[in-house]
Amino acid sequence: MKLPKRLGWKSGGILIALLIWFTFSIWGADRPIGASTAISYMGAWLFGLENSEYGKKIANPGAWEVIFLIGVLIGGAFTSIFITKTFKFRILPPLWKKHKNSSVASRLFWSFIGGFLIVFGARLAGGCTSGHFLSGASQTAISGLIFGGIVIVALIITGRTFYKNL
Amino acid sequence: MIEFINQTLELVKTQHHGSIALILFIGIVFGMVIQWTRVDTFDKIAGFAMLHGFKVPKMLFFGIGIASIGLYFMIKMGWAHYHIKPITLGGLIIGGIIFAVGMAILGLCPGTGPVAVSEGNIDVAVGLIGGLLAGGLFTYLYPELKTIMGPNLGKLTLTGLLGKNADWFIFVYGIALIAIAYILPEREIEEEVGEI
Repeated sequence: MKLPKRLGWKSGGILIALLIWFTFSIWGADRPIGASTAISYMGAWLFGLENSEYGKKIANPGAWEVIFLIGVLIGGAFTSIFITKTFKFRILPPLWKKHKNSSVASRLFWSFIGGFLIVFGARLAGGCTSGHFLSGASQTAISGLIFGGIVIVALIITGRTFYKNL
Repeated sequence: MIEFINQTLELVKTQHHGSIALILFIGIVFGMVIQWTRVDTFDKIAGFAMLHGFKVPKMLFFGIGIASIGLYFMIKMGWAHYHIKPITLGGLIIGGIIFAVGMAILGLCPGTGPVAVSEGNIDVAVGLIGGLLAGGLFTYLYPELKTIMGPNLGKLTLTGLLGKNADWFIFVYGIALIAIAYILPEREIEEEVGEI
């Protein structure tokens, strides 16, 4: 059997919808898909804050999402090595080189800042692309729709101003 | 580390949201779909922020459009439950903006980021370290931050507000999202393998 090297947006969207149904269903996990709580759960643990007010609040979803993310790492590594054959250690994305600069130090600095902002913002908002958008908007949750609208606008404004030679 | 793993496994076992194997399975499928479609790349996500490629929003809108219609009837049948996040207006607006700025710069988000790490992107691993720090800092500052996260307007859904009319509205909603996926330009950045 020959597997395709890439899936298009239609197959990708259908598979994600099937996974959302399974995860929500009583035969699955009876809960939504989420990812950002796991990062704060691990962050809280690193700084010994697991017994703080927020540390206790996120313990259950955080633990669930840590196991989920371990699965994500396994699935991602497996697919990149055996199916898409794209596994490779690298630092500079080609598009960053084209529209920002060719400096490894600059890319690593901004990656750190970007990662920091993403998790801090997601925690303020109470979710990320997975929790608010995939899971929230699928339930027609108004919180998810507000988050999605704000993120799309701010994402494009940042993309059009932070990068050059557009 | 061992204590962390034990504590995490213990918490998962007591909350009845699936066995460890089932949660791992959900994660593996998620990681495979995201990697296989290559939406875990800087080129696809930052490329959308620059308005150069549209695969990410097309896949998102298409997936949510399909999922919303099915999920509505699954919940009606009792095969699933609602899990709604509250409308904490301050947090949604401020957090949404901070999140989006970071997402445009890193070119990934908390779900796709780990996939990018799993295929060898060292820059995204550095972003993850930034994220862990932010998670710790947010946890520390939470007692002060929660005042700016409000007001909490409740756990509202469009279908909930529409009551009886929700049965046909869900089709309008789902089909509208699917239509957006088709209307967005086909333009896509064919990602190349990066370098060290």
